[in-house]
Amino acid sequence: MTEPVKTRILVADDDVDILDLVVFKLTQAGFETVAVTDGMAALAAIEADPPRLAILDIMMPGLSGLDVLRKVRANDAMSDLDVILLTARARDTDVDTGFATGASDYVIKPFSPRELLHRVNAVLARDDR
Amino acid sequence: MNVEQVFPSVGVAIGLGCVSSLGVIVIAKIRRGLVRARSRALLAPYRGALITIASGEDEGGQAKVALGAAPPHIWSRLRPSVVAFLPKVRGVPAEELSALMRSHGEIDEARRMLTSRSAVGRARAAYLLGLVSDSDSVALVLPLLSDPAADVRMVAARALGTIGDPSAGSGILHALRTRRGQIGLPAWVAAEALLSMGVEIAPTLQIGLASDDPAVRSVCAVVAGHGTYISTAPQLRTLLATDSDRDVRAKAAVALGRVGGPDDAATLALHVGPSEKVVLRRTCATALGEVGHRESVEALTGLLGDCDRRLAELAADSLVRIGSEGIARLEEATTTEQGPRARAASGALELAALRGQLVVGSTGP
Repeated sequence: MTEPVKTRILVADDDVDILDLVVFKLTQAGFETVAVTDGMAALAAIEADPPRLAILDIMMPGLSGLDVLRKVRANDAMSDLDVILLTARARDTDVDTGFATGASDYVIKPFSPRELLHRVNAVLARDDR
Repeated sequence: MNVEQVFPSVGVAIGLGCVSSLGVIVIAKIRRGLVRARSRALLAPYRGALITIASGEDEGGQAKVALGAAPPHIWSRLRPSVVAFLPKVRGVPAEELSALMRSHGEIDEARRMLTSRSAVGRARAAYLLGLVSDSDSVALVLPLLSDPAADVRMVAARALGTIGDPSAGSGILHALRTRRGQIGLPAWVAAEALLSMGVEIAPTLQIGLASDDPAVRSVCAVVAGHGTYISTAPQLRTLLATDSDRDVRAKAAVALGRVGGPDDAATLALHVGPSEKVVLRRTCATALGEVGHRESVEALTGLLGDCDRRLAELAADSLVRIGSEGIARLEEATTTEQGPRARAASGALELAALRGQLVVGSTGP
């Protein structure tokens, strides 16, 4: 019997603690994960093989999470990709900018890993409906 | 010894100095690399358990038991990783990590260090107690609000904010005052700490809004607005109308824009007139955009032609934020008028279109 195909999620964060934690949480929940530590690598990974969803930190070296999101939204081939921004930028204007740029959801650090998982499932379920 | 003999000797000495300095740097780097590698190897078996706790997946509690049993020489290396995780997560994982710190005696040690002779030691201790949200330590951290070191006072205030016990609110407001040559707590530190304390801080804010110190009134007005403490609205109205301090009046106007109701449009509109100071007029124009309501639209439309161009721009921007009724007034100004009023209106509409606040062919945002 073949195993069901796992939903693939890209996680990009230059903080290795957060990266390890999110990858572990998602793996435990049955997702396949791709982990990268900067914006350029995130964009390259998305372009090479688009995941179902990307979780992006905003403040990363090279390209920021917002830059990656802008490039994704500007590219017709990737514009449907769901993106959750996971960031310490907590001002109202930051959240506004995140959603205005095309984020599917916005999670502020410090965060609850359990809540992040709920948000991931909610974003994926929204697409399935 | 002549000059020709001295120069080569100096050159050789400098060269030898450079080579030996380089050698010291290389050795130090290699040594540091080895220490790191050894530390990583020692911690590797514990990293998985730490991630398990931080992700909230330690349902059986095995990871907590494993880390709780870590011997002192391992814990001393593991501790920075646990401390690094604490500000990154909240909820159950944060509680579990805090419990781990407690089980290794870190909380007791931090409490002892609050009275250390070293300012760095006191600050670190307060930071840690805030990080683990140790509400039992509030009474011990409060005295640090009058610490001789300004940095310690700031860390203590932030720690009290992170702990979130509203009983510390009045202490933080008290620390805003400059006394005995000691500069008061920065306003933003106090405001952030008070905001972290949640709804139960409202009574403290009400007392603070009646303080004789304008710095205290100002911070309380900011917190009242950001935290949307509606119960403070009557005091904010009074401060806006009568306070002797210009900054307090402006802060009260901003806050009233956030917590006020439709009736406050008239209150704010009273203060956009030319007899008021420029700062207050501009602040009230922005606040009117927050309050909304027909009375705001009237007052803001009247400001479009004001000789203070910045005020006219803020009024036009507020009309956009109010929505369809405000935008209709701006469109009317661009089609029926010329001059400064039309320029302010068209500028705001163009910016709103760029921001995606306007739908083409409609008057609604």
